[in-house]
Amino acid sequence: MCVVEIDGCPKLELACATAVKDGMDVRTGTDRGCEARRVVLEFLLAEHPLDCPVCDKAGECRLQDYYQDHGLFASRFNEAKTKRAKLVPIGKSLLLDRERCILCTRCVRFLEDITRTHELGVFERGNRSEVGTREDREVATNYAGNLVDLCPVGAITDREFRFSTRAWFLKRSASFCPLCGRGCEIWIDQHPGFARTVRSKRIYRVRPKENPRRNGPWMCAAGRRGFAVLDSHRIDQIFRIKDGRRTILTWDKGLHWAALKLEELSAKGHSGRIAVVLNSFLSNEELFLARRLFRDSLHVGSLAFLDPEPGIPDGFLLTSQRSSNRRGARELGFDPAPPDWDRIAETAELLLLFAHPLLDAAAKGPIEKAWNRVRTRILVTPRESGLEAGADVILPSALPAEKPGSWTNIDGSSSAFESALESPGEALAEWRILTGLARELRIDGMAGLESIGRVREDCLRMHPFFKVT
Amino acid sequence: MEILITLIKIVGTLVWFLTLTLYLTWVERKESAVIQDRIGANRASILGIRAFGLFQPLADAVKMIFKQDFVPAFSDRILHSLAPFLSFFFVAVTITAVPFGDSLRIAGRTVALQVIDGSAGLIFILAMLSMGIYGILLGGWASRNRYSLLGGMRGAAQLISYEVALGFSLVGLVMVFPSLRLSDIVAFQGGLLFGFLPRWGVFLQPLGFALFFIAALAETKRVPFDLPEGESEIIGFFTEYGGLKWGLFMMTDFMEIIVMSALMTTLYFGGWQVPWLGPGGFHFPWGGEWPLPRGAVVALQVASFNIKVVFGCWLQILIRWTYPRLRYDQLMDLGWKILVPLGFANIGLTAVLIGVLS
Amino acid sequence: MTVKDGARFAIEVLRGGLITARHFAVNMARHSLRAIGIRTRRTGAVTIQYPEARKQVPSRHRSLHRLLTRPDGRPRCVACMLCLTVCPSECISVEADEDPDPEIQKTPIRFEIDLSRCCFCGFCVEACPEDAIRMDTGILEWGRLGRDDLRIEIWPGPGPGRKI
Repeated sequence: MCVVEIDGCPKLELACATAVKDGMDVRTGTDRGCEARRVVLEFLLAEHPLDCPVCDKAGECRLQDYYQDHGLFASRFNEAKTKRAKLVPIGKSLLLDRERCILCTRCVRFLEDITRTHELGVFERGNRSEVGTREDREVATNYAGNLVDLCPVGAITDREFRFSTRAWFLKRSASFCPLCGRGCEIWIDQHPGFARTVRSKRIYRVRPKENPRRNGPWMCAAGRRGFAVLDSHRIDQIFRIKDGRRTILTWDKGLHWAALKLEELSAKGHSGRIAVVLNSFLSNEELFLARRLFRDSLHVGSLAFLDPEPGIPDGFLLTSQRSSNRRGARELGFDPAPPDWDRIAETAELLLLFAHPLLDAAAKGPIEKAWNRVRTRILVTPRESGLEAGADVILPSALPAEKPGSWTNIDGSSSAFESALESPGEALAEWRILTGLARELRIDGMAGLESIGRVREDCLRMHPFFKVT
Repeated sequence: MEILITLIKIVGTLVWFLTLTLYLTWVERKESAVIQDRIGANRASILGIRAFGLFQPLADAVKMIFKQDFVPAFSDRILHSLAPFLSFFFVAVTITAVPFGDSLRIAGRTVALQVIDGSAGLIFILAMLSMGIYGILLGGWASRNRYSLLGGMRGAAQLISYEVALGFSLVGLVMVFPSLRLSDIVAFQGGLLFGFLPRWGVFLQPLGFALFFIAALAETKRVPFDLPEGESEIIGFFTEYGGLKWGLFMMTDFMEIIVMSALMTTLYFGGWQVPWLGPGGFHFPWGGEWPLPRGAVVALQVASFNIKVVFGCWLQILIRWTYPRLRYDQLMDLGWKILVPLGFANIGLTAVLIGVLS
Repeated sequence: MTVKDGARFAIEVLRGGLITARHFAVNMARHSLRAIGIRTRRTGAVTIQYPEARKQVPSRHRSLHRLLTRPDGRPRCVACMLCLTVCPSECISVEADEDPDPEIQKTPIRFEIDLSRCCFCGFCVEACPEDAIRMDTGILEWGRLGRDDLRIEIWPGPGPGRKI
């Protein structure tokens, strides 16, 4: 499909397989080239099934695009189309449809050149060629999801996304993957539902957004699947819990309450009994605000970082660090060490916990002891973390994709992002909670930081390191 | 005894009047339907008997009575409640002056088929009809709704204007007839004109009749003169009314039709007179007689009156379902620039004719 | 307005009155004749007494939707969601799932239409590549007391409280 006319070459050349040379004169839109492409397309379409109405790729299918560009011809293929297997599981929740496959071998080459796992190959010859797994080995690589993206037709589909909606309903917005230190650039495909139809989920899939300096065009399975977890069990109300009874507050009242408790201790000179636990999913701006508020202004007793446990890196994109901004925290002068729960349990009277979005009941074990010993417990969390029952006030926060900010990835390169999704209900970005607390506490020098632009400006002035390049 | 007879007459007249009003709503529905190739209300049934929808007025009445008597919080409660009753009262009272038939002789007494036979019966009716304006104006005013008030003002302006035209159209008649007493007027119309034509007002005052008829239509404030109400678009004076009070306004409308029809009959169509029927029976101008007993004569006369009234109502309903509404300036033009000058012309013409003929 | 105009106006007014009077007379005569048992060529009214008498629904009239089925009773619909896409009032909602037959591939497990939004344009019928949805049931009386009762499932069929 990529044949072009090159001056000096008698035949049409394949653009993808020709090295560029100085002084080369390439023409892409000539009649000869177009005619050749049209003919190739007709061959491709001759055996291609008319699955478009049920095909997940419809709407973002290269074959459809080419047909729009070059074809719009009626099929001249009168013979019966060959029946092939339509539902071949090839592992990792991938399904292969051999009728739709046009044997471009992109999937085979991806597994050979990029992941070097060689699970797929083309078998048989000629008309009978088909893609299959080698010796019934399944595609087990962490990057199998990319096969769906790179397949130009709907031959490889993902069980997770399969049939859940149609491509043209999805609205994509750019964001960054928060789930490891790499910070891959991603597209979040969301579908808010129709006027009177509430969807059970809003994020249908996460795809890599090409970023040559970070992730290239790829991303790992953890990032793809992670969002379904992140966007579930959200908290969208401000709660005050007293004697086991929950009441719903407004932001003004919730922040006022929290500020009052902080002020009570700091005014008595007991700032040392305040413990603040941050996490490194927070953006540079938020960490910057937290440092000024908690360390520089309130001089809190302990300031620690609660992050997910490090995992095993896969040697390609996924890092062992499983949060997005530990490097940024270090650059801001924090020591992103886990909190000493025993010391907090003994000394702290107030614990302000910024729960990270992956905190769940399974991970709360060591926290719980300290959590239950401290007198005043303020929980800032985007999701149900299992700590709600013991909190005095719950402030709902936003997911990383729901707020603007910037992160510094494991290699020290910073990237800024805008909010890609709407926060549910009352949930508010942490930087707004922090500025709100500063406002309530009337902290000198933190007035006027009411927009993310101002915060970013201030942060960059003091830490030029975070400049996004 | 006199009081008893008067009471019986009052009750009888009111029963006649209200029954006719009630069934006029049915007539209106059915007549409009027949005019427009429809069937009209026919669903109200008692024990499965539909009887051409004759029970519809009963159903309407029941519905109106049981509807919530809603008075808006911002309205003047007393005046708001008073207005429909005023409207209703002044119309209901007019019918007492209308003669239904010749006097009856029962057990040696002469009983006039008329409640009040005042010497100025015509003036009385006109006066009572003018009082109806208060109902409209109060309805609009007491609602404390700007649009209702405007509707009431429109109504008052229209009624006052057309009262002038109505009065002028009647002056010629008064000049011709010997008295303002309605029984005398009817009796006078029993005579013959040129020896064969009944001496009815319509033959004596054809122009006057036309003017009276148009002005009377405007006085009933129904289409094409329904600017006070304007149910389909401009907001009328009883927007803030519902249930029974609204029903009273609506009934007043229909009662006005009957009153106008009865007045028209009395003044222009010989009232209860049947052509060539004297107290002893028919005397045809071409010779020949048909003597009838007294009872039959009175029955014929009452029937004649009723037929004429019902025809008048029919005609008014026909007009209501034929013509589009006048614009407000057209309404005023018609009243002041056409009907009033023509009324003057009619008076002059009558005066000249009376002078010449006498 | 001149006198001539006035006269013409009056004549037209009278003519208008005569037209309605004629309608009244003719229709009344027909009604009366029929009431006493004499058949007239035409009736006095064009009214159809609706719940008892009904007009024939024209064959191309768009009434309540239905899903057509395959010979084995399963829906012809493949949940391609083209009806959803083309629907101008966003009243259709479809949930799809894997069909046991790999040739059919996709099948609806829930096909819901919100009649309170539907404008009966028939675009869904035109968009359907499988001729699975049609609006030819002739059902016109689908009024309900609540909005939520107007969300009807036409597949897998009438659920509780959603009878059609």
